[in-house]
Amino acid sequence: MQTIPAGSAEREIREDTIMKRVFLSPSVVIILLFSIFPLVWSLGISFTDVQRGGSTSAAAAQSEGREYIGFLGTGFQLTLRNYQRVFEDQRLHTTARNTLFYVVVGVIVQYALGFGLALVLNQKFRFRNFFRVLFLLPMMTTPVAAAYTGRMMFDQSLGPVSDFLKHISQGLGLVPTIRIPWMTDAGVAPWTLVIVDSWQWAPFVTLILLAALQGIPEELDEAARVDGANSWQIFWKITFPILLPISITVILIRGLEIFKIIDIIVIMTGGGPGSATESLTMYIKDTALQFGNYGYAAAISYVLLVLVIAFTTAILALSRRVVPQNR
Amino acid sequence: MYRRKWWQSLGLYLIIIAWSFVVVFPFYWLFTTSLKLPLHVARGPRYIPFVDFNPTFEHWEDLFTGVQGDTTTRHFRNSLIAASGSTVLSVIVGAMAGYGLSRFQYYWRILGWRNDNIAYWIISQRFLPPALFVVPFLMIYAAFNLIDTHIGLILVYTMINIPFAIWIMRDFFDTLPIDLEESARVDGASRLQAFIRIVFPLSTPGLVSVAVFSFIFSWNEFLFALMLTNVNAITLPVLIAGQNSTRGIEWWNISALALVAAVPVILMSLFLQRFITRGLVAGALKG
Repeated sequence: MQTIPAGSAEREIREDTIMKRVFLSPSVVIILLFSIFPLVWSLGISFTDVQRGGSTSAAAAQSEGREYIGFLGTGFQLTLRNYQRVFEDQRLHTTARNTLFYVVVGVIVQYALGFGLALVLNQKFRFRNFFRVLFLLPMMTTPVAAAYTGRMMFDQSLGPVSDFLKHISQGLGLVPTIRIPWMTDAGVAPWTLVIVDSWQWAPFVTLILLAALQGIPEELDEAARVDGANSWQIFWKITFPILLPISITVILIRGLEIFKIIDIIVIMTGGGPGSATESLTMYIKDTALQFGNYGYAAAISYVLLVLVIAFTTAILALSRRVVPQNR
Repeated sequence: MYRRKWWQSLGLYLIIIAWSFVVVFPFYWLFTTSLKLPLHVARGPRYIPFVDFNPTFEHWEDLFTGVQGDTTTRHFRNSLIAASGSTVLSVIVGAMAGYGLSRFQYYWRILGWRNDNIAYWIISQRFLPPALFVVPFLMIYAAFNLIDTHIGLILVYTMINIPFAIWIMRDFFDTLPIDLEESARVDGASRLQAFIRIVFPLSTPGLVSVAVFSFIFSWNEFLFALMLTNVNAITLPVLIAGQNSTRGIEWWNISALALVAAVPVILMSLFLQRFITRGLVAGALKG
């Protein structure tokens, strides 16, 4: 066999065809094994009556002393019952509504707040760099710690927020004093959770939009001012349109992240009162972990996926409409 | 240069001060609560140490000594193992795939995918709701005895981290000039040698970005840690969340514990802030 000298073109090509596989394969294998395979698995499970420790029909058969084989000898039964239940389960509908509430309201609040803060931090003032870091602090906090702090802050009798409100209403001479049941009222609690989530994540919007704002050349503003535009006009005619594409991305990222919301809720309200603050992720976790109903938990996790895909499609459709396509 | 009117400056400073208060006060509250005796918490809010209450380091001492001390250090260690293990894996695997996608032309004939398709497929994994994986991971992990193990958590976190790692690294390698590797290869180095000796050292900023993100994500993660651990591998977030149901609300202890969990990532973020900004901005601007 002919040896190929080092550094020759032929050897490089042969080496590269091997190396390019070596570089990408580990990732692809991990994704296939830990993401694609579980997804397919889960889809399959959602059409069965599999529970923790076996299947419902197998358990029933065993208690009646019948012999049980199940579907093709697998020991479980194929069923559409889980998806039928999706349409009947009131708790699922509540948790889905709650999740959409968190996503829509959370995204609006965080975007508005984050944008406002980015505009403020883009002004010139003393110690600006210090405040740019300070305003990011909430985002760097462990969510569980942030949630726990939120729970202390909004505690009805021991928390400072209620205390502030008491002093404010006393100062204004209001009788009775303003008392807001932050975490115990079904109408208020979801808003409290949005406040805490926004405290933590509005800085993310700020960080990205501030970076984009810094990329806008100053001459653009100045030229507009020379032409007689005021700040309001400059914002709506120049700044906002330039930031629109990145805004869509930020809204998409935040929205997708809020769909996953669980830790803040578990710690602040535990899903209560009733199911008023429970999110889909939390319900899925409880269905699987607490009730051990794997089939149904898998089915509702696909409901969540459908909502996520619908949201993504809606945002992308919106972006195609409002962002001028120049590519 | 446009000059602000006095009332505009006033408004600006008022907003800055107000928001600084909103940001700082919860941290202040968390910290001071950890210094309060139960009695100072139970009788309504007390604000200023030495004036409204006498601060005590009792709860901090409890947290790090005796039985409670063992619990704290064990869970801290668990968090550290899970986070650093997945960080190392994510950095290595992510850098390799990022390099591959930046330097080679791939074509997956069956799907008709090229580099961009593959990259989008990979990043799309990052946005799947983790709840989708609750059932399959519970079942698969039970089958392979991976429940409540460090390696189990490390593997899940690596899976969740690599899409973003690849995304950042590919972006990074795209900006790294190719000449250096090529001259090394002309001198007889193989692809792998060139990657390890030349490319890897040059890509420190990108690698640090990936490492910071992977570490912070894994350190903070809650859902999988809750699902896949029972006793031995429980991480700090799960420990903290568990406090609120098992023993009633011991605000002072939980505050100290929450700080133990939060402070390392806050410090890390502060010191490595430019890498975080860089990674996030690169991710968002490209996506």
